[in-house]
Amino acid sequence: MLALEGLTKHFGGVQALQDLNLKVSKGSIMGLIGPNGSGKSTTVNLICGVFGITRGRILFDGEDISRVPTHLRLSQGIARTFQNIRLFGQLTVWQNLWVAQNAPEQKHGEPFLRRWFGGSRRAQAQVQGLLEFAGLAHKAQEQASNLSFGEQRRLELARALASQPKLLLLDEPAAGMNMEEINDLKQRVLALRAEGKTILLVEHVMELVMGVTDQIAVLDFGRKIAQGSPAEVQQNPQVREAYLGTQAR
Amino acid sequence: MDFYIGLLQIFGIHTLLGLSAYLLILTGQVSMAQAGFFAIGAYMAGICTAMWGWHIVPALALGGLLSGVLALLIGFPALRVKGMMLVIATLAFSEVVRLFFFNFNYTVLRDGIPIGPIGAEGFRRIRYFPENGWTTIEVSLFMGLIVLLVGGALWWADRSRLGAVVRAVGEDELAAQSVGINLTTIKVAAMTLGGVIAGIGGGLYAHMTTHVEHLNFGILLATFAIAYPILGGMGSVFGTLAAVVFVQGFLVEGLRFLGDWRNLLFGLLIMLAMNVRIKQLGDVRLRNLLRGLFGLRRRSHAGA
Amino acid sequence: MADFWLEVADITQSAMDGLLYGSTYALIGIGFTLIFGVMRKVNIAFGAASLAGTYASLVAFQVLHAPAIVVFAVSVIASGVLGYVVYLTCFRFIAASNELGSLLATIGMLLFLDEVTVVSTQGMPMPYPVLFSDTMLFFGPFSLRSDLLLVFVASVVCTGILLAVIYRTRLGLATRVVSQQPVAALLCGISVPRTNATTFVLSGFLGGVAGSFIASSVGLLSPLLLIPVTLKGLVVTVIGGLGSIPGAIVAGLLVGLLENVFLYFRGVTERDIYVMLLLFIFLAVRPRGLLGRLHA
Repeated sequence: MLALEGLTKHFGGVQALQDLNLKVSKGSIMGLIGPNGSGKSTTVNLICGVFGITRGRILFDGEDISRVPTHLRLSQGIARTFQNIRLFGQLTVWQNLWVAQNAPEQKHGEPFLRRWFGGSRRAQAQVQGLLEFAGLAHKAQEQASNLSFGEQRRLELARALASQPKLLLLDEPAAGMNMEEINDLKQRVLALRAEGKTILLVEHVMELVMGVTDQIAVLDFGRKIAQGSPAEVQQNPQVREAYLGTQAR
Repeated sequence: MDFYIGLLQIFGIHTLLGLSAYLLILTGQVSMAQAGFFAIGAYMAGICTAMWGWHIVPALALGGLLSGVLALLIGFPALRVKGMMLVIATLAFSEVVRLFFFNFNYTVLRDGIPIGPIGAEGFRRIRYFPENGWTTIEVSLFMGLIVLLVGGALWWADRSRLGAVVRAVGEDELAAQSVGINLTTIKVAAMTLGGVIAGIGGGLYAHMTTHVEHLNFGILLATFAIAYPILGGMGSVFGTLAAVVFVQGFLVEGLRFLGDWRNLLFGLLIMLAMNVRIKQLGDVRLRNLLRGLFGLRRRSHAGA
Repeated sequence: MADFWLEVADITQSAMDGLLYGSTYALIGIGFTLIFGVMRKVNIAFGAASLAGTYASLVAFQVLHAPAIVVFAVSVIASGVLGYVVYLTCFRFIAASNELGSLLATIGMLLFLDEVTVVSTQGMPMPYPVLFSDTMLFFGPFSLRSDLLLVFVASVVCTGILLAVIYRTRLGLATRVVSQQPVAALLCGISVPRTNATTFVLSGFLGGVAGSFIASSVGLLSPLLLIPVTLKGLVVTVIGGLGSIPGAIVAGLLVGLLENVFLYFRGVTERDIYVMLLLFIFLAVRPRGLLGRLHA
C-alpha cells in the first residue's frame, strides 16, 4: 500500500533521513521506532508532504505521490496525527471534525452550497459516529482547547479519521499518557485495524508498539537498521545497541 | 438631524471596510491593502456614475469587481509571505495605489465642466445622489441595506462549515493542510472577497462625500480597517460593528471638542489595546471589570 | 549625438546625487534591521520616531538659536529617547511571541507621532539648518553638492561606529547573543530587556542622525516626510534582507540611486511608485532580500 523508495532528506548539512526503504502492506500496522532524532517524525512529515524530499520517492497504492501538495495527499487517503497535538483550539469539538471531512467522495458527494454552508445528514451522522468512537459525544459543543490532554489526543485521532483515510500516520500518540490511557489507545488502534485501516505507528512507548504492530522498522541516525516482527526486533543486537549504547553488548 | 444621519453613513462605510479586513484576519492574515482596494472602488464607481452616467448599483458592482480582481492578482504572490512581511507588502500596495491616483488624470466634459480624477486635486462632483433626487434618508437606507446584506452574509457564513474551515486556517495552517484544506484557495478567496467588500465600501464613500482625493486613502485608513476587527474581537461581525461605532462615534465625533488633538487618540488606543490585551469590547475580563466598577459583579463568578 | 552624451551625463549626475542621499536611507534601513535582528520584530514607527526626534531639535534651533551642530546633537539624543519610548510602549510589555501585536502597536505609534508633528506645527514645513548651502565640488562635467558629500561621509562614519559597537564591545556581544539565543542569554545573566532597550536607543541615535541629514539636505522639515521615510526605510530593509546590516547599506544606496534616476525620467510625483514596485519585485523573486538569511 505504502512504499518508500530510497527516501532521503537533508536539512542544510544535516542528514535527517538516509536512503529509507519501507513497505507497509494493506491492513497491517507498521511500527517505526528509534531513539530521539533518528528520523521518525521526519518520515511522517515527508509522507504527508510537510517537507519536500531531497531524494527518493513515495508510492501510495502504486502511484508516485512525492510531488503531490500536502492537502491533496489527504484526498488520496493519507491522514495523520501530530506529536504535539495540533487541534483547532478555538473551534468546538464538533467543528474540528466537521472541517476535516475532505475526502474526494465527501467533497464531490454533495452539492457545493450544502457542503460549505449546510451539512448533509450523512456528514452529520459521520461526525456523530466519530464523536462516539472518541468518547466525546457529550462534549460536542465544547471548545477544543478546553478538553483534557487525553480527550485532545482522542479528538485528534477522530479528526484524522474524519476523511475516512486508508492510511493513518500516528506520530507518538501515546506520548504523555498513563498506563490506563495507553491500554485504551491500544484497543482503539486494534479496532481500527479490524476495520481494515493501514497504520504507520511512530512510537516510543514499547507497551503500545510491541502490543499492536505486525512489523517494526528501527531507525537510528536517519538509517533503517532493522526490520521484522516485534519479537525479532527485540532480539536484534543492533537495535539493543542503538537504544542502550555499546555497553549492552 | 443631518449630523446623525451623516454619522450613520460613516458607520456603514467603515463597517464595510472593517468587515473586509475581518474576513482576512479570520484566515490569519493582517493586510494593510484594504485602503488600496477601498480607493480603487471609490474611483471606479465614481467614474461609472459621474463620467459614464451609469446607475449606482452597477457602478458599485464594477468598483467591487475591479478591487476583487486586483485582490485576486496580488493575493497569489502576497500570500507567499506571512505575518510581518505581509503587512509591509500590503502597506506598500496601498501606497502604490494612492500614488497611482495622485498621478491619475482622466476627464470628460459635461456641461462645459471637466469631470473626473485630476491628479492631486482629486475627483470632484461625484453627485449621483443629488442629481437623481435621492434624499439623505433614501441614501442612508440604501447604504444600510448593503451593509446589512454584506454583514448578514458574513455572519451567516461565519457560522457555517465554511466559517469553521476559515477559522481553522487562521489558527493552524499546518494542521489545516493535513486535514485536507487547500490553504491557497481559502486565503486567496478571502483576499478576493475582502477586496470586493472594500471596493463596494469605497464606492459608497465616494458617492457620500462627492469628492475623493488620494490623501483619503493613506495609512490611517488602512489602520482603521484592521483596527476595527482587532479591537472588536474576532468572535463575530458584531465586534467589528461595535468597534466602528466606538472609534468613529466616540473617538472621532464624540471628542470633536478636543479639536485636532483627538486624532492622536486613535494611535494611542491601538497601542493601549495591544499592551493591555483587552482584546475585544465584549471581552469577558472587560465585562467583569465594568460590572465590578458599577457594582454588578455576579456572585457566581467566584466559582469559575 | 552631443544630446545623447549630455543626457548620459545628466543621468549619471542624478545617480550620483541619489547615491549620496541614499546613505540616509541606509541609516534608516540599518535602524529597522538592527531592531529586527535583535527582536525578530519590525518596528514600523522607527522612521517616524527618528524624524520626530529631529522635530524636537527644532526647539533648539528656533528658541535657542543654537548652531547647526548642536541642533544635530539634540536630534540624535531626542531620537534615542524616542527609541526608548517606542520600546516601552510597543515591545516591553507585549509578549515576545506576539509579533503582530507589537507590529500593530508600532503602527499606532506611527499614526500618533505623525499626528503630533502635524498638529504641533499646523502641518507647515519648518526651516532646518543647512550645512553649507550651495557649495559645489566640480569633477569634470560632474558636480557634487558638498553637503550631500558630507552626509555621505558622516553616514559612513556612523555605520562604522555602529559596526564597531556591535562587533568589538561587550554590549554588542550581548546584543548578538540575545538575537541568537534569548533564553540562553537570560541564563548567562544577560538582561534581555536591557539589551533590547539599548538596541532601540542605539538605532534611535542612528535615526536621529539620518533625520537631521534628511532635513538639512532639503533645508526644510515637513510632517509630510514621516510616512515616505518610513516606507522607504521598510523597502530598504526588505530589499537588503531583514536583519542584515550590510544588506541595508547596499539597499539604501541602491534605493537612493534608483529613486533619483526614476525622478529624472518620471518626475517627483511618480518616483515613489517605482520604489514600491521594486519592493514587490523582491518579494516575488527573492523574498529574503539581497543579503538576508533564510528564515521561517
